[in-house]
Amino acid sequence: MSIAAPTHDTSGSPTAGEIVLEGTHLVKEYAVGERRGVLRRRRTMRAVDDVSLGLRRAEVTALVGQSGSGKSTLGRLLARLVPLTSGDIRLHGSDVGAATGASMRRYTGEVQLTLQDPFASLNPLRRVDYILGRAVRLHQDVSGADEVRARCAGLLERVGLGPTDHYLDRFPHELSGGERQRVSFARALAAGPSVLLADEPVSMLDVTIRKSMLDLIDDLRREEDLAVLYITHDLGSARRYSSEVLVMHEGRVVERGESESVISDPQDAYTKRLLAAAPDPSRSLGRSR
Amino acid sequence: MKYLARKIGLYAFIAWAALTLNFLIPRLMPGDPVTLLLEGSQGAIDPAAKAAIAKAYGISDDPLPVQYVDYLRALAHGDLGTSISQFPVPVVDIISRALPWTLGLVGVATVVSFLLGTGLGVLLAWRRGTWSDHVLPALTFLNAIPYFWMALILVLVLSVHLGLFPNAGGYERILFPGWTPQFIGSILYHALLPAITIVLGSFAGWVLSMRNMTVTVLGEDYVSLAEAKGLPSRHVLLTYAARNAILPSITGFALSLGAVVGGSMLTEVIFNYPGVGYTLFSAVQAQDFPLMQGLFLIISLAVIAANLVADVAYVFLDPRTRQGA
Amino acid sequence: MSISSLVPRSGKVRAGLIIVLVFVLIALIGPLTATHAPQATSFDLRQAPSARHWMGTTQTGQDVYAQFVTGARVSLLVGLVAGVVSQVFSVIIGLLGGYLRGVADDLLYILTAVFLVIPGMPLLIVLTGYLPSRGLFAIAVVIAITSWAGSARVIRAQTMSLSGREFVEAARAGGESRLRIMFAEVLPNMLPLVASGFLFSVIGGILSEAGLSFLGLGSLTTVSWGSMLYFAQSGQALLSGAWWWYVPPGLAIAIIGAGLALINFGIDEYANPRLRTGAARRHAARGSLAAGADPTAADAAAGGTELPAGGAGGPAAAAATTRAGAAGTSGSGAALADTVPDADPVIRAADVTGDPVIEVDALSVDYPTVHGTVHAVDGVTLTLHRGEILGLAGESGSGKSTLTNAITRMLRPPARIAGGAVTYTDADGTRTDLLALDDRGLRGIRWTEIAVVFQSAMNALNPVTSIGSQFDDVIRVHRPDLGPTRRTELAREHLRRVGIDPERIGAYPHELSGGMKQRVAIAIALVLEPDVIFMDEPTTALDLLVQREVLDQIVRLREEYGFAIVFTTHDLALLLEISDSIAVMRRGHLVEYGPAAEIYRYARHPYTRSLLDSLEALGSLA
Repeated sequence: MSIAAPTHDTSGSPTAGEIVLEGTHLVKEYAVGERRGVLRRRRTMRAVDDVSLGLRRAEVTALVGQSGSGKSTLGRLLARLVPLTSGDIRLHGSDVGAATGASMRRYTGEVQLTLQDPFASLNPLRRVDYILGRAVRLHQDVSGADEVRARCAGLLERVGLGPTDHYLDRFPHELSGGERQRVSFARALAAGPSVLLADEPVSMLDVTIRKSMLDLIDDLRREEDLAVLYITHDLGSARRYSSEVLVMHEGRVVERGESESVISDPQDAYTKRLLAAAPDPSRSLGRSR
Repeated sequence: MKYLARKIGLYAFIAWAALTLNFLIPRLMPGDPVTLLLEGSQGAIDPAAKAAIAKAYGISDDPLPVQYVDYLRALAHGDLGTSISQFPVPVVDIISRALPWTLGLVGVATVVSFLLGTGLGVLLAWRRGTWSDHVLPALTFLNAIPYFWMALILVLVLSVHLGLFPNAGGYERILFPGWTPQFIGSILYHALLPAITIVLGSFAGWVLSMRNMTVTVLGEDYVSLAEAKGLPSRHVLLTYAARNAILPSITGFALSLGAVVGGSMLTEVIFNYPGVGYTLFSAVQAQDFPLMQGLFLIISLAVIAANLVADVAYVFLDPRTRQGA
Repeated sequence: MSISSLVPRSGKVRAGLIIVLVFVLIALIGPLTATHAPQATSFDLRQAPSARHWMGTTQTGQDVYAQFVTGARVSLLVGLVAGVVSQVFSVIIGLLGGYLRGVADDLLYILTAVFLVIPGMPLLIVLTGYLPSRGLFAIAVVIAITSWAGSARVIRAQTMSLSGREFVEAARAGGESRLRIMFAEVLPNMLPLVASGFLFSVIGGILSEAGLSFLGLGSLTTVSWGSMLYFAQSGQALLSGAWWWYVPPGLAIAIIGAGLALINFGIDEYANPRLRTGAARRHAARGSLAAGADPTAADAAAGGTELPAGGAGGPAAAAATTRAGAAGTSGSGAALADTVPDADPVIRAADVTGDPVIEVDALSVDYPTVHGTVHAVDGVTLTLHRGEILGLAGESGSGKSTLTNAITRMLRPPARIAGGAVTYTDADGTRTDLLALDDRGLRGIRWTEIAVVFQSAMNALNPVTSIGSQFDDVIRVHRPDLGPTRRTELAREHLRRVGIDPERIGAYPHELSGGMKQRVAIAIALVLEPDVIFMDEPTTALDLLVQREVLDQIVRLREEYGFAIVFTTHDLALLLEISDSIAVMRRGHLVEYGPAAEIYRYARHPYTRSLLDSLEALGSLA
């Protein structure tokens, strides 16, 4: 089976896609230890330590790291779900400042985050039409139940879920993991964003449906001109689906560059160790018994 | 021991809150005690007498902060005011006479009921899916019976009809209090029925919560692993399942103490048991507000202390709270 | 089947509802049927029940029936008002604290703690003692004030747990307002808790009112069950044998309390499937992951924990509903697995030299569900040889965990073995039918011959005892002749073998990292030098680097000890690398089985090929 890797016309030319979302010198510190109570400790831990990155229009940037590397925190910083300790975030070149109610609503219209666990990221008590309908009402200027439902159906079609009426009336627990993840993407698309932050979109899915999910993200990138941050722990898919890779370790970016070259010719010691540690079926063939 | 330090801090604060509440209630409630009392006596009382009563309550026209400082100062000297109904006996004396009775009766009965209930709860969890599930509704019923009504029924059946137990008092009136075997025996004999009431009224609650916790824990991986290890069932049940399930029960124990104490107080009333509950009842009947408040304060402090003890026990049972010691 | 199966799932709830309904009817209609005014006195003093006075009279000649039904109205009303008011308090305070966190939460937490610890009844007594006029409503509110805290704390904890869940995060990321998230996203997921808290406060309200009135502190101008008891007590009803006077109100309180508590049982069981009894458990079989019951759900969870943060430890209520149908559904989603046609299984001869140690012959496992029987494992035949690493591959719901659980006899009801045999052969050639062993025989073979390493070492170690004692108990049971010193030596030695400082033997599980815990679990599995170790996703929750270390260690220890391993994972690349043989499962069937190298190079079954293609498509690093 030959799989056409998404082609990127950006090799060697970092200015091809205009930078949509940019973070400079981002730092996030957490208080360590017990948070509760009267006696509060003042020790801090840097989850994200001086990271700068730019997401470009119609390009996928991969953020690779193991759990605890700070990659998910970075994603949440960019989504403004957690406040920055220091650093700046610029959207279309202008500083976004603090996340107040109204500015947060505007910001989420541009930058959307999808989460890892398809079992947990949809409210188990709401049907798909409610979940998508909320996003549509929040971010699109429509009212009227029929109009909203029509828009929701349109969203489902774009993520490849049909027949739409079948899905709109389902509860999340009636869907498979892959279907739920698609609903999450549909919800993100409702805002008509220019940036999609995808936090481990496939890690909890079966291996046979991961490819179709990543292909979907790639299609959306192309069709919607989305700047995509693909957060993952998997170097292999990062290589195949992104144009640029950032490798994170202990809150810092230890290596960054054009995907193919980072994976095939890693410079940093940590990246090398990661690559060496990945399971490799061909290794066993040389093993003698 | 950060966990413990924090708990002690919290309880210190709660104790302070109880003190302050005790100070504020008579001053902020709509009806002030003097007026309430005078209404009761239904006659014209001259202002001098009224002032004297007010003084006895520690109520004055000083601004609240001044009163508050006075109140704390008096407390620091162990002065809870003077009883109205047994004037001029200090409230502290009345309480210290009643307290040992309650500590002995309610304390022992509560611990017995907790141990009994917890043990039974583990057993029911282990035997779940069998006949034992049918015990649950009965226990639920038992748990819902008001203490005082249970006491009434027990008195009726065991004491009035069968004559097995005395139905009132803490000891035989004819005996002279002292460390004689006869007197101690009489105390135990008199305490038995109230104790049975308290145990019967409260143990079902422990059974139900312990059963549910144990059943939940039995589904954990470490319990499955213990089974896979080929350990004897009893070992799996006790050191793996029950050992973990008891943790929330201990917290629950501390928190339900208030309810148990409340229920036990009513039990004392039925048995005319000379403890804190009965004293509080008498104080309420006689509208002896200083005594009422003193009792409230002492009971609160006792429950707070018991909570602290339970939390210390928790620290010993759960290594996770000892982190960063 | 036990007797408990005769009690239908909702039996308790139904009984509870009936009880409560009856009392509500009594409260509503009863007073209309009374022939006397509740407080009207007459000359029928202390009469036993008769046609004229259905439940007798009091010592002042009042009609007990009239008092009882009026009392029902009053008591229920006080309970209801107290319940509503206290739940409103609890929900607002718990929700705000749990969601907002920070200083607001600290203050609310302390406030809650104060009201939680200060005993309610004495406070109630003092408060009502000062109430100038004790109206019913005032009493109900005072009761609510003294009783909201417990429920508030529970709701706060649940809110905190739900706030960490991804659907709440997704709502925030989607731009929803805080208020809306709290009340439209979080609150509906806590309804079972709120309902249960409400029922408890109603019971508490009724009991408190009764207690207060019994002490003479209630609203004495109103007739309630408590005040009936008060007058009965002061009127010497007990000694005069007027049982009709004091029995009904107390019994009524107990019965309605029990009724409300029974409904609560149902709510608890709904929220926490493990608590279900008897038939309820079987009814819920299609969805009770928590009970380890559902085949597909169990596997789904196994495949769904690549990161420890995953779904672990979610609130029971939400987890139960979320995970429930996880796998049972076969939507028209793009799961490649569903598009690959079925084909005959491809079985190849093993190229392993050792003697067989475990032989599985046509093993089948069934799960009865409401939708009919699910064949979670269907006619699987396998042979594990001494020293062999057998990789068991398959996606969520393929039945691989069910298969290993069946072999190790760790299957939990309602799953049952529907057919086949599992034979264990020890070093001397003695054959044992594993499925026929009784508990005693099973305990004898467990761990000494067959050990298990669970998927998530996070949960596989007892959190409250030290590592040392978790070595110790298994050695003590199976090697009773060893003294304590020797046992400790053995434990330390095995810790060293897996690369952990033996000095850590006194450590508790929470003091170790995930990788260390997994190694401890492996060391415990090794300690009796078993013939076979079952490893269920032993490295799935670990980081790539840690996974590599643990894998290398497993392979090295295998060389050293010579045990056989059944290694279950959904990570085919990993499996191909370390296994001698591979068994690929799909929907309970074995679709391809043979030497790993051959399967990697010449997979013949279309499903195996699709798995390998997916690996390739996702960008292998080779």
